[in-house]
Parts: sequence; structure tokens; C-alpha cells
Amino acid sequence: MVSFIGRSIIQKTVTLFFVSVVSFMIIHLAPGKPSQVDPLNPKFTPEMVERFRQQFHLDKPLYEQYLLFYRDLFTGKTVSWKDNQSVLKKIWERFLNSLPLFLVGTLLTWTLSFPVGIRAAIHRGGLYDRSTTFFSYLLISIPGFFFAYILIIFVVTRFHVPVIGMETFGITSGSLAHQVMDRIWHLLIPSVLGATGGIAVLSRYVRSQMLEVEGQDYVRTARAKGLPPDQVHYKHALRNALLPFVTMFGLILPGLIGGSVIIESIFSWPGMGRMAYEAILARDYPVILTVNFVSAVLVLAGTFVSDLLYMVVDPRIRL
Amino acid sequence: MTIKKILIFAPIVIILALLQSYFWVPTYEQQTRGDPQRLRDYITASIGDASILNPILSADSASSQIESMVFEGLLDRDEDLNFRGRLATSWEIFEEAYFYINHHAHVPGLGKADGRDIVDRIKRAKARATTFSPPLKTSLELIEKITLLPPGERVVTRKEKDPETRKDSQIRLRVTAPARVKLILKKVDQNLFQNLTRLLGDEYFSSFRAGAYVGAETPAKEEKITAYAKDILPPTEHNPVLVFHLRKGVRFQDGHVFDANDVKFTYEAIMDPKNLSPRIADYEPVKTVEVIDPYTVRVVYKRLYSPAIGTWGIGILPEHLLNTASRKKEALRLGKDPKTFSLRQSRFNRHPIGCGPFLFRQWKSDQYIILDRFEDYWEGPANYKRFIVRIIPDLLTQEMEFYAGTLDNYAVQPHQVKRLKKDPRFQSFSGTSFGYTYIGYNMRRKPFDDVRVRRALSMAIDADKIIKYVLYGQGERITGPFVKQTDYYNHNIKPVPYDPQGALRLLKEAGWERNQEGWLEKDGKRFEFTLITNSGNDPRKAVLAIAQDAWKQIGIDVRTDILEWSVFIQERVDKADFDALILGWVMGIEPDLYQIWHSSQTHPYQLNFVSFKNKEADRLIIKIRQEYDHEKQVQYCHRLHEIIAREQPYTFLYVAKWTAVLDKRIVIKEVEPDGQVRYEKITPTKTGNYTFHFNKWIKLPQMPEFADEG
Repeated sequence: MVSFIGRSIIQKTVTLFFVSVVSFMIIHLAPGKPSQVDPLNPKFTPEMVERFRQQFHLDKPLYEQYLLFYRDLFTGKTVSWKDNQSVLKKIWERFLNSLPLFLVGTLLTWTLSFPVGIRAAIHRGGLYDRSTTFFSYLLISIPGFFFAYILIIFVVTRFHVPVIGMETFGITSGSLAHQVMDRIWHLLIPSVLGATGGIAVLSRYVRSQMLEVEGQDYVRTARAKGLPPDQVHYKHALRNALLPFVTMFGLILPGLIGGSVIIESIFSWPGMGRMAYEAILARDYPVILTVNFVSAVLVLAGTFVSDLLYMVVDPRIRL
Repeated sequence: MTIKKILIFAPIVIILALLQSYFWVPTYEQQTRGDPQRLRDYITASIGDASILNPILSADSASSQIESMVFEGLLDRDEDLNFRGRLATSWEIFEEAYFYINHHAHVPGLGKADGRDIVDRIKRAKARATTFSPPLKTSLELIEKITLLPPGERVVTRKEKDPETRKDSQIRLRVTAPARVKLILKKVDQNLFQNLTRLLGDEYFSSFRAGAYVGAETPAKEEKITAYAKDILPPTEHNPVLVFHLRKGVRFQDGHVFDANDVKFTYEAIMDPKNLSPRIADYEPVKTVEVIDPYTVRVVYKRLYSPAIGTWGIGILPEHLLNTASRKKEALRLGKDPKTFSLRQSRFNRHPIGCGPFLFRQWKSDQYIILDRFEDYWEGPANYKRFIVRIIPDLLTQEMEFYAGTLDNYAVQPHQVKRLKKDPRFQSFSGTSFGYTYIGYNMRRKPFDDVRVRRALSMAIDADKIIKYVLYGQGERITGPFVKQTDYYNHNIKPVPYDPQGALRLLKEAGWERNQEGWLEKDGKRFEFTLITNSGNDPRKAVLAIAQDAWKQIGIDVRTDILEWSVFIQERVDKADFDALILGWVMGIEPDLYQIWHSSQTHPYQLNFVSFKNKEADRLIIKIRQEYDHEKQVQYCHRLHEIIAREQPYTFLYVAKWTAVLDKRIVIKEVEPDGQVRYEKITPTKTGNYTFHFNKWIKLPQMPEFADEG
């Protein structure tokens, strides 16, 4: 166990190093320059472009830029080229904004998918199963932005309440309860939208896992023993069907920093996705690279956690 | 079964907990009509967040919108685009001109002349100025004072980089400058020296040999010394002078009194290389900024550069908050090195303080920026109490918020104009924008070097139809590179007509004839090229297809390509590797076209990427940027416009029109001296700027009725 952890940490550090090199290379090799070095503005003289290049160390060889960047990152000194704000501070702020969206979205996905999927599996081929299949595919195939617009227009014109932003704009008065509830309301629609795709996919997974397990011999045995159907489904079948989801749970960790550009833009949500997207458009390398690095760390941490979880839930597995 | 129950009840509980929040949320009704404060707020939306709220550092429109409210410049432009004093009450422009005495030149009637003779000659000529030809007469009459500066000796050092060893070295030069004549002129006169040659001989200035007065103290090549000498001792020099008289009793939003030191500081902050100001190019021609007294600033320029006046519209920074001492204090407080701590790192950029009508209150990144009205604003406080910019990146949500009343204006998209203009709840404004879309031809390549071909290509495209169908009618034809609302634009020039037959005739003249398959051919080669544009711009994409089709109709084999913006710029535009492209320019009001149209700017990475070269145009471009007299400038611009329209380096397609809608309850509120309140309808200025009187705007609870309205 300890040796597994040690080995895995060493492996992941090496992977992380390569990820950092590759992402650094990709960003620097991709066409396009930071907006400060954009030559298509008549006001920018070559001397100024040169000065910005020096300031951003763009005039140095790539390996030196790489070292400088990661030195700054680990000492917490990286600043955004756009507004000179500390990158870590910016990311932390956005992370806190995106976090509730992520939490509520995940909560909805994971709590809804299971009952929906299990029921579909139990009543396989029935009207319920067919209609959930239909709706799942519908939700997977509707573009998120389109669905978002429909929902916004529906809620705004039907209920006359604001839905965009993190809170109702311009209302500062009101009790704490009002403010908290206001925030929750603003969370509702974007997180439902974020969860729809997840629910559709995950409930399909649950269904197929359940179906697979329901066909196993031990389930038949349980049934033959004369156990009540609920006990067969929820105790014998479900527990074994859950195994793959344990690994999936570890993999949602990177979602923490991903955020959704489209949902965040439509709902004017000041989240991670929007910041990263704008940074990419402006070629704000420090922000892009830091987000990239943090998400790489989270992906590796996620796989590590799911490995551990797997070991805990499935005694057959020894690493 | 507990598991079953949990699986069923958990999601139900969560969903109910989320849904019940609906009952706590204020409705739009409560936010707008239910909130009396709302009438005193002006809320607008921006697609993107501001980056840096410092007028000398920012380069994005979201930041400058806020800066224009918080900061105030020395001057701005009024309804008719003339300059108007803000922090400056008035200003004078005159000129100090210099030339070196040329001892070797032959002066008609004097032979070789020394300084005193020359001064004497000019003085005498001035006394009987009326006897000379009109150009010289005007130049002489402008001279106010003539002084002779004695010769001087000095040592100048120049740094240079060895191209091979990449090492810095210094060259010390000993300059024994000859006597110099200083002329003070009432007005800037770019033709002064040219006219003076009539008095002093044609060669007097051009034959001045600067190299003879400069010697090197450290070893250096002869050519290099001559090159430096030309730079150190220019035969003639124009030094336009701008003297600003500042407004007294103006305060910054922290109560500190504004004075000349703030102006000087703002200039110095821009020029400080540590600050990396993107505005530095505008102020590079400035030689000195001197504080004469607390309310007078004197700016001397190195050379003639008329767009310089407009640059003083830049927001003035408070010196007392940002000078070296306060910066040092801030650096120490933040635990940073004071030596490398520049304005870019300062907290000021997120908490700006200026002299403008609104003072900064709060900025939540990517959510909103709130400004409060500044009660001590020198022109009197604004009517609105707060000015708020909400950052809403999505246009549809902006529109929804506008209908709900939580935004006060909305920039209408072309396809919505027809519907929203008629809506009785809103008042609408529209105008033409300051940019145009064009097809540019690479004139380095055949057959685009032939003006007939370029003209024929323009004639084959029906720009009116593009405006009608691509822009939903929200655009206008344009024929040249100037902003259409300004008087620099020559309205006498007719747009190139849509005439495919005429195009074919022109192409035939140029040697292109249709072959059996219908393609145009010359010397057995088919007329084919590639038209490119950048992705992500729908109108351009539509124009691409329309142009391709229109040219195919007259037998030109056009291929098209759409490239990602940075690839487009880096690989194609910067390296001039294209046949024809669709792009747009956003113009300033100043008619300075040097970077885009001068023949010296055709190298890679420069902006004259179509390689437009025309001697007369070059001369006019220089003359325009050196001319301080508006009428003359207009005259030169009209001529330049004519040349560019004739040469057709671009097919000028259209300028887009913008439309904005406002709640009809927003009006102008004027308080008469006797205390009577008068409401007026908001009317846009001649250039279409409807926010010009923004400080007088207010929102009324009911829709007002105006007597003069039909």
C-alpha cells in the first residue's frame, strides 16, 4: 500500500513535469501573440513591442522562459499580463465563484441519475425506460446554449424574476436569509443546465451497469432464494453495480477548475471558465499556463484518489 | 428498504430546497418600479470587463468607458468635433523655428553671409513684406521676433550596439555648433523655410553640412559621424509650442486641488519606460513640458505634428497620489522592491481618482463597476447619482435585462433595428461608426498592380446589395479612408458604380479576355487568385462569398480561405503573403494616415500591407500631419481622398451603422438660473453621439410628453 502510494507519487510527478513542458511548448508554438505585442494597432511602435517582449521575457530562449515562469509560479509571484493582478489570487477568486455551481451541479447529477437509471433498468423495455432513453438522448443532443436561452426566456417572461449573475443586481438591502436564498435561486438554473448533460449520460451508465449485474448468477440465486425484489435490486445488484462509479467519482475532481465557458457567459457568471477563455483569447500566458498546471494537478490527484477508492471498495484489488 | 427511500427522497429534497428560493427573490417589478433609487442610477452593460482603470495604461474600450467618467482631460471635442476646453480654459499654439547659419552658402545679393547679415536681411524683408510674393509675404508676416543665438561647443555621447559582438559601446562627439537663428512665429507655418529660400537662396538650408561641425573624440567611422551630425545639427527645426491655461479651483475626487504639476506628472508617467504605457507614441514628439506657474503649462514639440493637440484629452492623473514618494511608500507597504515598482503595479489602477464627473466606488471583477457622482465636479454635479456598468457577455441576456428595466440602454443588433426603432417604449439613436470594411489588394502581385484591374474588381461587386442583405440596411457606402462624419471626408467623390459590363471592358483594356470556357485569360494564363479573411466575423464571411460569386460571374476564378485571426495576421498580413483580403479599419478623428498609406510603411509587419505607393499621396500625408490650420488640412485631405479613391488600392465597401435604444423616460434635465426645471428630449450631436450631454440626463417616473413633438 505504502509502496503503491510512493510509486504513484513519483510517477505522477514525472507526468506532471512532462505536462508542464508540453503545455508550455504548445502555447508558445501556437500562432498569435499577447495583445500587448499585437502589431495591428497603428499606435504601437516597434520599440514598445520590444519593451513589452522584454518585460514578459518573450525575448529570452524558450527554456529560460520556462524556468522563469515556473519559478514565479512556485513562489506565487506570477502576474497576469492583462491587468497585473496576481494569477493565483485571480484563480482563487474565480474558483470560489465556480465552486457553488460545481457543487450543486454535481449534487444534482449524482442524486438524480441513480434513481432514474435504476428504475429504467428494473423496468427494462417498459414505457418508463423508453421515455427516459428518449429524454436522455434529447438532453445530450440539445446544445447547451440553446437550452439555456429557452430556459432564461421562459423564466424571465413567465415569472419576471432575474436569473443572470450570481445575485440579483442592485438589491443590497434585505435580511441575510433573503440574500442567501437569492444566491441559491441564481445558482439553480445554471447548475441545472450544467447537470442536464451529466444526468443524461450518468443515468445511462447506471442503467447499463444495473442491467449487466442483474443478469449475473448471484442475482438469480438471490431471487431464487425468495428474497423480496427490493432487496435483490438494492442490496445485491446495486452494490456491485456501483463499483465503476467509484472511479468516476475521483475523475470529477478536475471539473472543479474547468468551469463552463458557455454557461458562464450566458449567465454572466464570473467563473473560471470565462477567465480562462478570455486569457486564451488575449494570449495571457501566465493565466493560461497556471490554469493548465492546476488542472493537470487535479487530474492526477483525481486518478490517484479513484485508485485508492477502488482499493477500499473492492477487496479483490491489490495494488 | 432504506436505500430505495434515500435514493428517491434525496433528489426530491434537494430540488425542493432549491426551488423554494424562488419565493425569496425580488421580481423585476420590485427592482425597477418598486425601488425609487432606481431612477437615479444609470445602468449600462459591457460585454467585457475593464482591465486597468488608468488612462495612461489601458488600451481596451471597457476600461476607457469608465476612465472617461472618472478622469478629465485638458480638452475634448464638442458637438461639432472642434476642440473644447475642459481642465484647460484656453490654449495658444505658436512656433519657435530655428536654423543654423550656413557659412558656405551663397546668399543672393550678399554672397557668403554671417549671422548678423542674415538676421538683418530677414528683418528688412519683414519690414517691406508686402512687396514679396504672397507665400513669402505670409511667412514673413507671421514672424514676431528674430534672435541670433551665439555659436556653442558641447560634447554629445551616443550609445550604439555592435551588430556582430552585440556589445554596447559609446561614441563621444564634440560638436562646435555654428550660430543659430531663432524665429518666433505667431502661428505654426510648415512652409516657413521653403519660403525663406526665396530670400536666402535655394540651397541655403539644403547645403548645410552638419558633418563639418562634428568631430569624434573616440574612434568612429566617417559615415557614422556624418549620420550622427545630421541628427544632432539639423539645418532647420520647427518647434511648435502649446501653452495651456488651466482652470482654477478644480479638485480631484479626494479634495486635492488640480494644478500644472499634475499635467507634467501625467506626461512624465507616460514617458517613463518602466510604466510601459501604450500611449507613448502619441507623446514621443514632445520635447519638453514646463510648468510656468501653477495654472500654465508650456509644451514644446520636437517637430510639426498636428495630431498632438488631441492627445491632451488624456485623463490627468493626480500627482500627489502617484509621485515617486507615494509609490515608494506603497511598494514598501506591499513588500515589493521600490526600484522595480511601477504605476502598473499600483493599487490605483483598481481604485482610480481623477477630476471627472463620477468617482470610483466599487469594482467586482466580471460582475460590475459602480461609480458615484462627484459632488464637487467643476461643471456642477451630474443629475444621476450613480453610474453602473454591468459586465454581461451575452447579448441575448443583455437584451432580456434591458426589457426588464435593469439596464438603461441596449446596443441593437442590425437585424433587430427595424423592430426596436418602432417600439413606443424606447427612444432610439443611430449613427455611422468610425470604421470601415474593405477588400484590399496586394499591389506587389500581378495583376493587382494595374489600377484598371483593381477598379474592375470594385465595379463587379454590388456593395449596395451587401449593405441591404448582409447588414440589414444598417450601413452606408464609403469611398475613402476618412471618418465619414468629419469634414476631412470628401463627399464629392462618388462610390464606384456596380457595373459588371464596365468591369469587363476595363479588364479587356488591361488585356484580359474571356476564353471559351468563360474564364478571363491573358497570355494563356487564367485570372485566378485567393481571397482571404479571418474567422469569427460573420459579415466578412458573407462578403467573402458574395465577392467570390460576383467575380466568378465576370470570369475570374476566385478561391477563398477563412483563417483563424492570429494565423491570418501573423502568416498572411504581416508577411504580405496574400492576393486579396477582407478586413476593416477603425479610425480616429485625426486625419493622420501615415502608418496605413505612406509608402515608407510597406515593409513586413507594417500596416501598409497592400503596398500602396503614390508620390503625391506621400507628400499630402506628410503635409496633413504637419498642418495646424484646419481649413488647409481639410483641403489636403480632400485631395488625398481623391487620389486613394482613384487608385482603388482597396475596394471600399461600407461603414456600419450602429443603433442604440434607451428607455423613453430618460430625458435631459436643465435647471434655469431662476430655479425653474426644464426637461428636454435627448438629441444626438451632428456626429451621432447621443451621450454627449450625459451629465444632464435623468430618468423620470413617467414617460414625459414633449409639446414640440407631433
